[in-house]
Amino acid sequence: MTVPVPEPLLRIEGLTAGYGGAVAVDGLSLSLAAGEAVALLGANGAGKSTLLKAILGLVPLRGGGLWLDGEAITTLTPEKRVRRGLGYVPEGRRVFPGMSVRDNLEVASPLGRAARADDLERVFALFPDLAGKAAERAWRLSGGQQQMLAVGRALMGRPRLLLLDEPSLGLSPKLAGEVFGAVRSIAAAGTTVLVAEQSAARALAATGRAVLMRLGRIVHDGPADRLPEDALREAFLGG
Amino acid sequence: MGARRDHQTATDPPVTTLQLLINGLALGAAYALVALGFVLVLNATSAVNFAQGDLVMAGGLLAVALAPLIPLPGIALLPVVLVAMAALGLVLALAAYLPLRRSPPVAVFISTIAVGIILQNGASVLFGPEPRAAPPLLSGGTVDLGGLVVAEQSLAIIAVAGLLIAGQQWLFARTQLGRRLRATAQDPEMARACGVPVTAMILVTFALGTAYAGAAGLLLANRYFVTPTAGGDLILKAYIAVTIGGWGSVPGAVVGALLIALFEVGVSSVLSYPVALGLLYAALLVILLARPQGLFGEAARRRA
Repeated sequence: MTVPVPEPLLRIEGLTAGYGGAVAVDGLSLSLAAGEAVALLGANGAGKSTLLKAILGLVPLRGGGLWLDGEAITTLTPEKRVRRGLGYVPEGRRVFPGMSVRDNLEVASPLGRAARADDLERVFALFPDLAGKAAERAWRLSGGQQQMLAVGRALMGRPRLLLLDEPSLGLSPKLAGEVFGAVRSIAAAGTTVLVAEQSAARALAATGRAVLMRLGRIVHDGPADRLPEDALREAFLGG
Repeated sequence: MGARRDHQTATDPPVTTLQLLINGLALGAAYALVALGFVLVLNATSAVNFAQGDLVMAGGLLAVALAPLIPLPGIALLPVVLVAMAALGLVLALAAYLPLRRSPPVAVFISTIAVGIILQNGASVLFGPEPRAAPPLLSGGTVDLGGLVVAEQSLAIIAVAGLLIAGQQWLFARTQLGRRLRATAQDPEMARACGVPVTAMILVTFALGTAYAGAAGLLLANRYFVTPTAGGDLILKAYIAVTIGGWGSVPGAVVGALLIALFEVGVSSVLSYPVALGLLYAALLVILLARPQGLFGEAARRRA
């Protein structure tokens, strides 16, 4: 008798993606269980951003496939993947600069007015800084506030899997700490989180599992609190 | 169309400054619809829609063609013109924009110019080259505003265009569809990543921009007549309005259009329409050289 293995929330098999002649993600396979918080670590150019974009569908695949809750999403457009439960916080935040904070959040909600208002309150409770600036145009916010807005915007879609790309980039240590504090509470509330980071320490403190990438491949996958130092060194410095 | 006749003829009674202002505002309100449609498509797609002027002409001739079928004041034609032109906008997007969206911008320039030429030639075949007039929006008479006699048509144009512009503002500022349209215009890839169906938003934008061009055609085609080649003049004015207002700025396009029309009507009344047009193009060159970000210079990334 075999014990049924629960279907992972996200299953990636043999994923290959890149730009022009360059391959950025090379035949990568990875599974995320529901409720997991995973740090995706590696040096600049390891393929972390491309992997996140490929999961969302912003980069076309050259090979491999993706399954969300057992359902193939490989051929779906990014907007359909978001509707199925993916949320994305891009590198560089990319808030909608000319829109108000409130509009930036509301635009990402697929729900009706009442549910949207509830979700808005939840985001403002998570990021009280944003609540006072609801009517402010997003370009007027500080970098840290824009990062919080980008995270809040992704949450408005009620994601089952939240993908974050370098959320601490360009932030002061204090603000980076606040952003990762929010990531921790999002994960604690049950949302699966995959966060790509170059600064390993913060990401490891906020997650339970570490995946190290180098040259488009996974070189280590294990618990975040027992990451061998040589694996980390290899991922960042090339061994 | 395009104010090719002088705004005052020898038989008209003397025109006061206030009457000129109202005429200028009426012309400007119609230009504003043209420029608004142009800038919405520009923002959503980064594509310069050179067919916008010809779409105004098409809307005008559609009103001319509908008038005998719907024997009511011109205002009754407005919903029909809006819906039919919105459908034409969808065709335009599907035929001339979406297949080329990953090509260099010049491809869309040329495809929209081609659409314009098709519309001009189609109009020539169907309607002939002579100027046609659409019915007035209401009765075509004058209104006495405490001694100031103004054309009812001018007031009706201002009211209709004002309502349509206010409607666009409301849609964009207050509705979820409007938020999605704005997000698509500001960062289409990120809009996708927020679950916004970007292709549908682009189709809606083309439909809206073309419907507004058609409405402008109906508004202009009574006073200024419409001919199959009238669009060339209008696209230039829309382009100038958007340049003056700050490339990509929606309120700037409306203000730019009003300024152009007031300038045109004012100079025409003192000198002549050709002089007004010449000075307008000269002003465009000066603005492009001195203030390429437009008079109200909003940075493009911060646009509403």
